[in-house]
Amino acid sequence: MDLTEYVLAGVVLLATFWLLIARRIRAAVNGYSFQSWALAAVCLVTFLQSGRWHLLVMALSTAAIKALLIPAVLRRLVRETVYDRRETRYYVGVPSALLLGTGLSVAGFVVARQLPLVRDLLGEPVLGVSIAVVLLGFFIALARRDAAMQLTGLLVAENGLLLLGLVLGAGLPMLVDFALFLDVLVGAVVMGFLIARMHETVGSTDTSELTRLRG
Amino acid sequence: MSQTLIPVLLAVPLAAAAVTWLARPPAVLYAVGAAAHVTILALAITLLTGVVGGAEPHAFGRWLVLDHLGGVVLLIVATVGFTSAVYSIGYLHHELTERAVGRGELRRYFALLHVFVFTMLLSALAGNLGLLWTAIAGTTIVSAPLVDFYGSREPLEAAWKYIVLTTAGSMVALLGYLVLYQAGVHVLGVSYDFSFSVLSAVAPRLPAAAAATAFLLVLVGFGAKAGLAPMHTWLPDAHSQAPSPVCALLSGVELNCAMLGILRAFALTAPAAGAGRLRLALLAFGVLSMLVAVVFLVSQRDFKRLLAYSSIEQMGLVAVGVGAGVPLAVSGAMLQMVNHAFSKSLMFFATGNLLLRFRTRAIGSVAGLVHDMPATAILLIVGVLALAGAPPFSLFVSEFSIVSGAAVAHQWAPALIVAALLAVGFLALVWPFNRMAFSAPPGSAGQGTTVNPIVLLPAYLSLVVVVGLGFWVPSPLHALLSGAARTLAP
Repeated sequence: MDLTEYVLAGVVLLATFWLLIARRIRAAVNGYSFQSWALAAVCLVTFLQSGRWHLLVMALSTAAIKALLIPAVLRRLVRETVYDRRETRYYVGVPSALLLGTGLSVAGFVVARQLPLVRDLLGEPVLGVSIAVVLLGFFIALARRDAAMQLTGLLVAENGLLLLGLVLGAGLPMLVDFALFLDVLVGAVVMGFLIARMHETVGSTDTSELTRLRG
Repeated sequence: MSQTLIPVLLAVPLAAAAVTWLARPPAVLYAVGAAAHVTILALAITLLTGVVGGAEPHAFGRWLVLDHLGGVVLLIVATVGFTSAVYSIGYLHHELTERAVGRGELRRYFALLHVFVFTMLLSALAGNLGLLWTAIAGTTIVSAPLVDFYGSREPLEAAWKYIVLTTAGSMVALLGYLVLYQAGVHVLGVSYDFSFSVLSAVAPRLPAAAAATAFLLVLVGFGAKAGLAPMHTWLPDAHSQAPSPVCALLSGVELNCAMLGILRAFALTAPAAGAGRLRLALLAFGVLSMLVAVVFLVSQRDFKRLLAYSSIEQMGLVAVGVGAGVPLAVSGAMLQMVNHAFSKSLMFFATGNLLLRFRTRAIGSVAGLVHDMPATAILLIVGVLALAGAPPFSLFVSEFSIVSGAAVAHQWAPALIVAALLAVGFLALVWPFNRMAFSAPPGSAGQGTTVNPIVLLPAYLSLVVVVGLGFWVPSPLHALLSGAARTLAP
């Protein structure tokens, strides 16, 4: 069973690179949805291994909220406000982003080795993947100029945290997981709402044009 | 009785939000808002009296708990929440009659305000660290649409920066709490109740390295939300662009909720990681925040941004107080949180009245207030002296306790730097407001509309508290503050 979980964790990490190089917002949303499916699969596998019911509930809610609902909301937003075929701009170009992204992934694995881990369901390699995904998510949020791209970056970081939660805190009560899901969902909707407003008042969702407030 | 009081307390703002969402006439929105916040205040004071009397009210097992540290924050949320709600009524009614906002926006405002207060009450009452994180992260999500309330370009920019940076910060803090959970696994086994009471019982036996990592992650993450430099860059924007009553809540209350997240982590990790190391980190962030804030205070031309930078300075001072570690400084830091909440909300109410009348935030465009708006001018002058920490006001007492506490702890360098920064900050804060109040009135005095008296009432209530606390700290409040200080500096 170890092999399955490593492969799935690898897929989660690869999906992050998909988002890292995506030029169009629609591609980034697809990458996020794909990553969330992989994450739901990880939850499912750990449920089959351990037989803890709350992991099955997590798998189902991850699939429903993160793989279907949030991407659907984002796709609608993209259709209505941002031209979905438009290429977005970067602060960091694709080649350097790939290079830095690889560096950040390595950093994730190095940090994971430093943490004393009591193995519950998932082992150290998955811990490395989850820290790498959190770091890459923050990097995407920083490296992109487009507000919708920054939102997908934060969502990716949050997926990394969910995986990290499975490694470090699988024993946490389910209510906590639900509270987190609620935060993510409402947060994504509020940020989507702000992006729509941005398109309305500023005429674009490029945050490098938001420079009125200084000092 | 407390078993039911805590859930009722949390249900009141949610019920108020639901009624607000369904109601149409502004008068109903105002009545519901005022009634809800009076109820919250009364329930909170009942609960706090119990805490001071030695009880530890709890509900739903250990999910909701009220202890001394949470009690300090609950006191701030309930009191400043009440004054801000009353001020909101006057402020938004003025905006409504001026046609600056519509009826639909008014409804949205009050519904969000109540949910915002709910998330802050939950932060104070959460007994489980997962719930605490959710509540604190939730405060941002609910208040970002309030920052964007006026909907033009600048508020939108402020709201976007606010939600992106503080959400990223909250995620780092969650990383810290997960590492803390894992540290607990080493002692308690893979599945345990992630609440303070369970963890604090085994706190000295947690693995030291993991505990220290957990605290640093929470400090950096929620430090971003509490406005500690260098993660503060969103704060002056968000706290100046929001409507004034929201600014009072953001600056006076919400920052304390994020600080509570840091202090809870500190209390749980210090026994294992070594309090000295963790305090050093708090001192470093605190002094840096004060330094950055004072530099920007001196060069500020916008009076709401001036108050926002002052919040960074004051939260930095709270971090310094806890970082100094001796009981004198730590209880000073607790008093500082309360004092700052009242005096900063007072200043946002007073400057809100200026905004309603003059429609400008530029310090240079306002003059001769003592002739033009005497009631507001008194608020501004007394308020700014209190906020800057002039004796006999209560902020002088808490600032003095923190600085002398740092000196007692032989933290000479922080004590001297902080004292110098407070002196410069004092002048940078008092001078602009002094000019706005006393300089010769502009030729075109008397322009703009008069402001209704409801906006003066909560401001004068805060003023009475700010002046009163300088002369006399009631003994239950003193017990609450020193009880909270004991959990941070045993």
